[in-house]
Amino acid sequence: MDTGGRLGRWGDGMTFVLTTELERGANRNLPAPLSEAATSILKHLREGCFQRSLCLIVSVTSVASGLEVGYEHYKGSYSNLVMYTPVILSGALAGAGLLGVFSEVAARTVLRWVSVVTLADGIVGFWFHVRGVARKPGGWSLPTTNIVMGPPIFAPLLFGTSAYLGLMASYLRREEDLGRFTERLGNLIAPENPGWRDDLRHGRFQKHLSALTVLWAFFSGFEALYSHYKTNFRYKAQWTPVLLTPILMAVGVGAIKSRRIANTALPAVSALALADGALGFYYHARGIARRPGGMKKPLYNTLYGPPIFAPLLFAACGFLGLMASLLRREKR
Amino acid sequence: MPHRLGPMQILPSPMKKFAADECVDYCIVGVGSAGGVLIQRLARAGLRVVGLEAGPFWDTEKDWVSDEKGSHELYWNDLRITGGTHPLALGANNSGKGVGGGSVHWAAFAPRFHPSDFRVYTEDGVGADWPISYWDLKPYYELLEREIPVAGPAWFPWGDPHGHPYGPHPLGGVGDVLVRGCTKLGIRSVAGGPVAILSASHGDRPHCIYRGFCLQGCKVGAKASTLITHVPDAITHGAEIRAHSMASRISLREDGRVDGVVYFDREGKEHFQRARAVIVSGYAIETPRLLLNSACPGHRHGLANSSGTLGKYLMAQAGNVVAGRFEELIRLYKAPPAHALSEEFYETDPRRGFARGFAVQTVGPLPVAFAKQMTAAMGAWGWGMRRVMMDYNHWATLGVLGEILPWEDNRVELADEKDQHGLPVAKVTFNLHDNDKKLIEFGKNKVMEIMWAAGAKQVVQESRFAHLVGAVRMGSDPSMSVVDKFGRTHDIPNLFVCDGSILPTQGSANPGLTIQALAARTADYLIQQGDATFFSNRRDLTEPGIRYDLSPPYTRFKGNPRIA
Amino acid sequence: MTRKSFPSHATGGELRDLEQPGYYGGFSTVSQKKSWEQATRNVVTDRIEKVPPIRFFSQDDAALLGAVIDRVMPQDDRSVERMIPILPVLDERLFKNSISGFRYEDMPSDQEAYQLGLKAIEEMARERFREPFVNLTVHRQELILKSIHDGQPDPANAVWEKMPIHRFWAMLMEDCVTAYYSHPWAWDEIGFGGPAYPRGYMRLENGLPEPWEKDEQRYEWNAPVDSLSQLEEQDAPPEHQSLHGHGGSH
Repeated sequence: MDTGGRLGRWGDGMTFVLTTELERGANRNLPAPLSEAATSILKHLREGCFQRSLCLIVSVTSVASGLEVGYEHYKGSYSNLVMYTPVILSGALAGAGLLGVFSEVAARTVLRWVSVVTLADGIVGFWFHVRGVARKPGGWSLPTTNIVMGPPIFAPLLFGTSAYLGLMASYLRREEDLGRFTERLGNLIAPENPGWRDDLRHGRFQKHLSALTVLWAFFSGFEALYSHYKTNFRYKAQWTPVLLTPILMAVGVGAIKSRRIANTALPAVSALALADGALGFYYHARGIARRPGGMKKPLYNTLYGPPIFAPLLFAACGFLGLMASLLRREKR
Repeated sequence: MPHRLGPMQILPSPMKKFAADECVDYCIVGVGSAGGVLIQRLARAGLRVVGLEAGPFWDTEKDWVSDEKGSHELYWNDLRITGGTHPLALGANNSGKGVGGGSVHWAAFAPRFHPSDFRVYTEDGVGADWPISYWDLKPYYELLEREIPVAGPAWFPWGDPHGHPYGPHPLGGVGDVLVRGCTKLGIRSVAGGPVAILSASHGDRPHCIYRGFCLQGCKVGAKASTLITHVPDAITHGAEIRAHSMASRISLREDGRVDGVVYFDREGKEHFQRARAVIVSGYAIETPRLLLNSACPGHRHGLANSSGTLGKYLMAQAGNVVAGRFEELIRLYKAPPAHALSEEFYETDPRRGFARGFAVQTVGPLPVAFAKQMTAAMGAWGWGMRRVMMDYNHWATLGVLGEILPWEDNRVELADEKDQHGLPVAKVTFNLHDNDKKLIEFGKNKVMEIMWAAGAKQVVQESRFAHLVGAVRMGSDPSMSVVDKFGRTHDIPNLFVCDGSILPTQGSANPGLTIQALAARTADYLIQQGDATFFSNRRDLTEPGIRYDLSPPYTRFKGNPRIA
Repeated sequence: MTRKSFPSHATGGELRDLEQPGYYGGFSTVSQKKSWEQATRNVVTDRIEKVPPIRFFSQDDAALLGAVIDRVMPQDDRSVERMIPILPVLDERLFKNSISGFRYEDMPSDQEAYQLGLKAIEEMARERFREPFVNLTVHRQELILKSIHDGQPDPANAVWEKMPIHRFWAMLMEDCVTAYYSHPWAWDEIGFGGPAYPRGYMRLENGLPEPWEKDEQRYEWNAPVDSLSQLEEQDAPPEHQSLHGHGGSH
């Protein structure tokens, strides 16, 4: 069985492989139960045997994005019936993710198709948001004002991107498949195909996930840019996601091209983004509490204060980047 | 060039034109808040309707500007005489001219009246009771809130608590001041509404762009006026609206029924529009003026004035503006003037020593209006004016909206002066009474307290009045009122009045929504009565039952689900 | 006999011949006119470029009213080419008899009120200082006007027995501030954003400037030392009974 670890030694083409290093580090420094757990997690990741976990993650992010789109569309007064679709679909996706945690069949069918529909809805939503900007006074001839004040242009695509995670999850193997006899046998009889399905199945999708990280970073970074611009970058910290985004995108692109970047710069920058998202979450929560009326107007101030979920979405792209750095690369 | 109503909406064309001698079913005098809703409903029900409007038929892209001084023409600028101990400022303050009427330049606060407003006499022994209750009007409030549509909080805690179909607006600097000050004092407030301003696009009307020019006519088409909400649908359904048509007299037949309206066109030429019934929707000054000017044998003191109350019980609301200067910048010109309020002091509180109450609302005067306020509030002039205005962006302004009771001596009469058509102009007399003065004093001090609590470094106030209602009071007793609970005059079976002038009391809520709700109800009644209105003298006072199929497009399946 | 007075800058002496007074140096609403729609652009541009001729007032009255306006709405700090026309705007209103929709029952028509008011001011000047109002020093002009502002005309004049003095003052002030603060140069002075359609605002809270607006650059500003029209900070506003605002704001 190829663990990926063998490839990664210092001196082997000077390639630094993060997982190997982490595994070594864990074995060396952690007490036995913890190091076992860490190694086990890393193995599952490497082998693509983490369907349950990813289903759960998809489920949780769907709940968060469902809440966000729910209140954002409430602000938009559900003035078009289509605005209900992402709310309903994120509920459906959360449910499908949960089913996927418990049932492999559900993960391969229900989750897959709900994800596809949600993804399509994100693209349709993007069109509606572009049209929404066009229909504001001045339309696209006032791009700055109308992007800032119009429907958040890339939010539906960000929503679609999280559905894409669900789609990916539906192709993974399950945790218990790791080292299972039938799986090994199957691998012996029918070696992996070079297609993307088998790549996913065996956890060989580092480039794939890096690409997703790049997209995700772009969408959520752009949102950070215009909404922080809207408040004139009053706080210096508002620059951080805006500055981190191009860096993260660059190392994401680099990670697609180079294993080395995928194992070094990508996790480093991703960790920064994750931390920045966490910090942003704190600042946004504080911003809400500091608004006029403060916690006496929790609903209104959550609606019109700094968007509480947005930093978490930014953190999520850091999380994706980290995950990508731990995966195996596609064979091609 | 198409006739535009906002950047996307276009007035349907061609508009129906009735022949000069054709007798229509209804002639509506005044196409404003009430007239716009009435004409839309009646036209949709298939009736032949003509609306006479003294002002122009606005093309919002051509005629309106994003400028304070340039918007002078939106108001009723013809001469009126104002007097009494506290003479009311008219014109820009409260009267519109042109299709859409006052709804073109209202700030668009759209709160409902409270249930107690309909029983003021029973509960407090002052003012008057309405011939209807809140619950009669409630379904119309709900319907109109969706037709307009009204943006506001999901839970409005005062009066009959309710939610709003469109979501609340973001706060501007002034709203922040109101919410901060109220919270500090433990006073509940709501943010982002209720206002008749779009917080999301609605059909061909875009979302608000927060430019603050609500009172100058909303070019964006986000702020509702009947010009853009109901008139287009009326035209689609075969109504005719004749602009620049100044009604001079309602003509009465020998059998005691009216048969049409005499009016002057733009060139000053006199015409007669025959109609099987007439509805006057000219608002609190022009409606009584037209009825008084229509005096004829049998109606010596004005049409439908057997009670002698025509023109009396005129009301305005106390509208004191409290301005506070802050260390930090506010920039009060951004966001709609109307976007946050508190009705915590709305109801009678015996401990205060006066009946009824007031609301606290945001206001957002643009530079000219603000400079005028500083003339009155600070006595600013010369270098002092220049200095205070250089701090324009540091000021925030909150308004008292206080209920003034209906008094017989507050009235509209005819003056000796004549207008350009030779018609006697209106003379408006307004006096404050003891209860009103106490209420204003208390309200003013309370709002100043809120302003201090919000952190102002200097607080001043200017006394003024807002809105006009009453003068053609509705009631069940024909000796004490002019019209019945559906707006039909007690004296003449086919003459109706439907606008703010029929309100017996006014609460501390902005009257726009209530006026439109009453108009929709009257329309349902007229449609249900059918031809009986035109021929029968029998007065059927049963409630018509609300018609949900007469709303303009985009009313259904729009807006947030309501929790209340 | 100085005919001008200049506000002073606490750190740098007098402020005079300014292109743009106020705390928003470099802010220009007119520079944004490409973001306004045509109807508004026409109205605002005309306000700068087409100053109406004097048609209602006689030459003498115009000179007198001009002198009054110079004190009521002083612009001594502005450079000559950046003075905001007030008299021509007021003259045009009266020439066209454009009124704001009402007249107080105790007031004559707006046109007559101005004729009467000017007559009274001129008589007051001659009686008190033995000179026409236009020839008085700034200080003496202010003395006369301050007494009208205070509602206690010094010296008394028969006109004020016929016409309520506070109503005349309010009308004069309203006309002056309408002309001044409807002008884009005044918007630049006070930091008002000007017309805003089709482009609206993005930054509604915390007094944040739009990208095309300027942030405030405050400095200590003082009216001319001896000016009587300086705001007296702790002064309670003169509560003119039944003097109400005319701007609709609810």
